[in-house]
Amino acid sequence: MIRKLDSFFEPRSVTVIGATSGRHKPGNDILLNIAANGYSGELYLVNPKGGEIMGKKVHCSIGDLPEGIDLAVIILPAIQNPQAIRECAVRGINAIVLAAGGFSEVDEEGRLLQAELEAVVKETGVRVIGPNTSGVTSTPFNFTSSFFPLGRIPRGHISYIAQTGNFATHTMRYIATGEHYGVARVVGIGNKVDVDESDVLEYYATDPETEAIFVYLESLKSPRRFLETARETTRRKPIIMLKGGSTEGGSHAAGAHTAALASDDRIIDGALKQAGIARIYKYSHLILAAKALSAMPLPKGNRVSFLAPSGAMLVAMTDMCQKYWNLKVPALEESGRRRLQEISPPYIRMRNPVDIWPSAIVHGIEFAYREGMEAVLKDSHIDAVVPILMITDETGVPDLQFIVDLARRYPEKPIYATFSAEKKHMEAAKAFLEPRGVPTFPMIEEPFEVLSVLAQCRKYMDRG
Amino acid sequence: MTETEMILNAAREQNRKTLSEFESARLLAAFGIPTVKGILAQNLEEVKKAAEGIGYPVVLKLCSPEVSHKTESGLVALDLRDEADLELAFRRINGSSPVKDADYLVQEMVKGGRELVVGMVRDPQFGPCVMFGLGGIFTEVLGDVTFRPAPLDESDAMEMLMEIRGNKILGAVRGMEAVDLDSLVQCLMAMGKIGTAHEEIQAIDVNPLIVKGSSPVAVDALVILNTSS
Repeated sequence: MIRKLDSFFEPRSVTVIGATSGRHKPGNDILLNIAANGYSGELYLVNPKGGEIMGKKVHCSIGDLPEGIDLAVIILPAIQNPQAIRECAVRGINAIVLAAGGFSEVDEEGRLLQAELEAVVKETGVRVIGPNTSGVTSTPFNFTSSFFPLGRIPRGHISYIAQTGNFATHTMRYIATGEHYGVARVVGIGNKVDVDESDVLEYYATDPETEAIFVYLESLKSPRRFLETARETTRRKPIIMLKGGSTEGGSHAAGAHTAALASDDRIIDGALKQAGIARIYKYSHLILAAKALSAMPLPKGNRVSFLAPSGAMLVAMTDMCQKYWNLKVPALEESGRRRLQEISPPYIRMRNPVDIWPSAIVHGIEFAYREGMEAVLKDSHIDAVVPILMITDETGVPDLQFIVDLARRYPEKPIYATFSAEKKHMEAAKAFLEPRGVPTFPMIEEPFEVLSVLAQCRKYMDRG
Repeated sequence: MTETEMILNAAREQNRKTLSEFESARLLAAFGIPTVKGILAQNLEEVKKAAEGIGYPVVLKLCSPEVSHKTESGLVALDLRDEADLELAFRRINGSSPVKDADYLVQEMVKGGRELVVGMVRDPQFGPCVMFGLGGIFTEVLGDVTFRPAPLDESDAMEMLMEIRGNKILGAVRGMEAVDLDSLVQCLMAMGKIGTAHEEIQAIDVNPLIVKGSSPVAVDALVILNTSS
């Protein structure tokens, strides 16, 4: 039987069990989130006290609900969860998010309670996400089960699979308030009594709303299935993963070299490569690479050109491209090189990477960056361009519309902007460029690190 | 019953945790992995006869599933040039042997400047995984190895070869021929096949896999069985 997760991502009706009017409680924050995101399906509230919340009737028990609600979000103390699932099943609810913590992640008692949950899930046949999670966010359906105050979650084409609720709570709060990109689906899989990372990955793999998949996991419940699905998916959609924590090990046979060398990390590394999953090592890259992919296409390869106002940056970034990032800083075509030479004073011999300062002195910042970027964007040796923008009161504050125009004229080549600038100008540039489709990165290594990850995704996609 | 099944059944009946080197080599050979020529012998007469059959120089090893770390225990003699060398080595190994009535393995002396390692381990999460890397003493010292879950396709195996830090060793270096990569790829894929076909095998070490000319040859092999199943 193919069991779809549609009821989680596209519920026509939802019940919140444990809804409350008490401010700053999970059972109230979820209602504010649902309202803030403009959920348009039927919403049913359950609390034994009854009454009204936010002008909505509150049902006194699950038994009072109408038949056939698509999704239940249960925000009750752990001990009450098994019975609540049974009662939901009786009302014909087949998809349930369990928010409560206090299961196998805490103690022996919790472990027993979780075993009971697993038994109830089997016995009733319902599908469950959690426990111990903020559950599901689905912007195309204007829905979230998160009980962490979020406000409206921006819509986009990035989907996340996270170990816990982290991506639908404070990380999402940062994305919504600090960045200019949106998400399609977010799932915190929690303790995985039923739905696991492979189920969600399968859903994302065929989900038209999802163009790239970001994963933060500490363990894999069904590793072989996850890898097989990923290997198929990464031919079409990038998958980028941060693997946290260590997994079970130490049970390898003693006495063999192979077993002694088979650390979790080495095996996971090989497994992710085989599946075409780009492995990252920084939490921030779950956000920065998503931002880059939201605004720009996947680079066609790993050949970068960058423009900097300082020789030190040219040297240091070129070193790091080769040493750490597997990026090439290739020589330009003769026509591209000649154009750079034309816009620069004759005393400097222009090449890639591009020393833009001499031209800026002669022709001004805007002209130098605009013409310099266009020369390298046109160049067939280059897959992506990183302008390191110098913006200070004294050297001039250019109108950055030219970067937006260049991005539109060369849509197949990513442009990632970074800065060597005054903070106020960096912030203004981010606020101007990002809503217009050009991602920015505060630290100068970041666009290169992101490019390195995405060039790896391209390589996996090209291997067919 | 296949040869592999016969070997594994015999080991199971005897409640053994490992296969002997000779059994291990036969198992690898059954999956198409090139292995060094070797003959099992039980006494000096048979050892001499085997050496003549193979042709000097030869290697003499004690061969018993109960004995591992043979080199460290002085139970291996390399590069024996003639019968006198062989007889001396036989008496020395016989004297150091911790096991009564053990067999002796006479092998062709394979020379090559490059030693690689190929292995398989059954991971609790990912199932059988194949390893490739630098062999001999460098396996322990440098740990320059890479893994992939089985089964492998050709591109997986080729990526593994290119992935180790010391991958230049596979090229034409120091006047040596470039290694036959197709043959190495076949070895890695075969290790994956063994892992997926035989759950009772917990781990395999082929170390060293010596590059003879351009061809990899398994010179020592250890198969560890999964005693819990």
